[in-house]
Amino acid sequence: MAALPDGTRHVLPPDASARHELVERLRRLYRAWGYQGIEVPALERYDQNHPRNDQSFKLSDRDSGVLALRSDFTPALAQLVRGHYPQAAAGRRALRLQYCGTVWHAIDPDVARTREFTQVGLELVGVSNARADAELIHLARESVREVGLVPRVELGNPGFVRALFDLAEVPAAARGPLADAIDRKDLRTLQSLVERLALRPAVREALLAVPDLYGQLGVLDEARRVTPWDATLRELDRLEAIVSEFEDASELLLDLGMARRLAYYTGVTFRAYTFDFGQPLLGGGRYDGALLPAAAGFTIGIERLAAALPAPTPAPSPPVLALDDVGARRLRAAGVAVVRSLSSDLETARDEAREQGARYLLGERLEPLVADATDDGSDEGALRRLLEGDRGE
Amino acid sequence: MASRLTLALPKGRVLTDSLAALRRAGLRLELSDDARALRHDAGDADVIVVRNADVPTYVELGVADAGVVGKDVLLEAACRVYEPVDLGFAACRLALIRPEGARQPIRRVASKYPRLTARYLAGRGSTAEVVKLTGNVELACLTGLADAVVDIVETGGTLRANRLEEVDLILASSARFVVNRAALKLRAEELKPLIAALRLGAEAG
Repeated sequence: MAALPDGTRHVLPPDASARHELVERLRRLYRAWGYQGIEVPALERYDQNHPRNDQSFKLSDRDSGVLALRSDFTPALAQLVRGHYPQAAAGRRALRLQYCGTVWHAIDPDVARTREFTQVGLELVGVSNARADAELIHLARESVREVGLVPRVELGNPGFVRALFDLAEVPAAARGPLADAIDRKDLRTLQSLVERLALRPAVREALLAVPDLYGQLGVLDEARRVTPWDATLRELDRLEAIVSEFEDASELLLDLGMARRLAYYTGVTFRAYTFDFGQPLLGGGRYDGALLPAAAGFTIGIERLAAALPAPTPAPSPPVLALDDVGARRLRAAGVAVVRSLSSDLETARDEAREQGARYLLGERLEPLVADATDDGSDEGALRRLLEGDRGE
Repeated sequence: MASRLTLALPKGRVLTDSLAALRRAGLRLELSDDARALRHDAGDADVIVVRNADVPTYVELGVADAGVVGKDVLLEAACRVYEPVDLGFAACRLALIRPEGARQPIRRVASKYPRLTARYLAGRGSTAEVVKLTGNVELACLTGLADAVVDIVETGGTLRANRLEEVDLILASSARFVVNRAALKLRAEELKPLIAALRLGAEAG
């Protein structure tokens, strides 16, 4: 058998059905909040300005145009919104969309164990305010709870770091390395980078304090003391406004040193964690102006989420193998899974049933195949009643 | 939820220095004397002893909440962890090394650090090829496998003994205390004070 491409894999029934169920639960949750499902092509035109342009698998089209496999849903959704929802695209009306599908990341397979991902996510387009942000953060938290895990959602605001950089008049070329050191909480590198900039002592102290501004919501007060300037206070107020939308904010955390993709995210960013699992379960944020004038959303990686859950147990085999199509139809109508025998001979069907792990063979009559088939007491009786109930009509 | 911290520490001399730094920061840690033990119930934390280059993986995936690893290894691993403390010990330089007096253009470079080497060469506009080796990298220069190597220099003794010289400093490295991204947030009440104490200890040491 030819090997699969690096970073892809087969998913067998117990895992596959667990994943389908996860997806279905999340999609139901989002539908209940008014998020409508849409689909976008997995095949896109290659675009140099795509935010993940360096991570996309490229293909050549027949007319020599260059295509890319979808690497991120957000730009694809933005294109859909611009094309079909002009009011939302112009920021005049709220639009709630949800999606589910595969993305591919062309990353070094030595670094990334997986290069093909199933993602479920939301976008709330057309409105930019604290209530919209809080709705997404709430749904991020509920998504984790929905699958049976205890959520912690951590909020950040890259605008805060940007405002500090502006105050410090950090030259454009120095911003990337500085943001990276802050994001890694690498104080040593941050110190050596900051020393090269001629800074007022208060601004220097503030920059060096940023990596440690994380934890419970009290961090906001600490941040106000360390960065008492209008531009930074405004960014802290934005976070405070979102937090104050929550009746119960006990599951929220803050990290004011979240400084990833500084040029992309314009408002709140957030990640969800659960205990005893070392990686974030989902991530998102507000990216007004990057692709649409007002938009925010988050994405859940289903592989990651499944890894945080206990391994699924194999689903039980369908309890009945049937030669009798009429009886089988009755049982299925009542919700009992019935496998159809591929043989018309009773003896062969009996072997087939054992091979399939069925506990009953349905021929002219219902035949138990294992001694303790009635382990829950009512199994066989219930099946007989279903079969006979109909016959009585 | 309130299980103990798990720390991933590298084998060898760094293990001793790491344990000393963590003890100074207030953790009670006793490893069993069994030299074959890989996993220690060490008092205030569980300690797993792994190869240097594997520490980033254990910490990034959250199998360990935190660990100690050289900055050189960390950069080579390109992993997403926090690195809040420079512990100061295990100081060394990552350098470009050539036979004494070599002046010919560099066409092939051998290293245990292929990613860092490739990035360094790209930054200098060099088109040299990078060959990955796993040990005794200096030998690549002496045998003609490569025109230069990128490797760790501590004292320079090995280089002098083999008539090699450092021609460029790529990186000054030392041991870092690294922390899993989720653990730092979910176990902040344990890790924040530990980080503060480790920083104090590193400044004093």
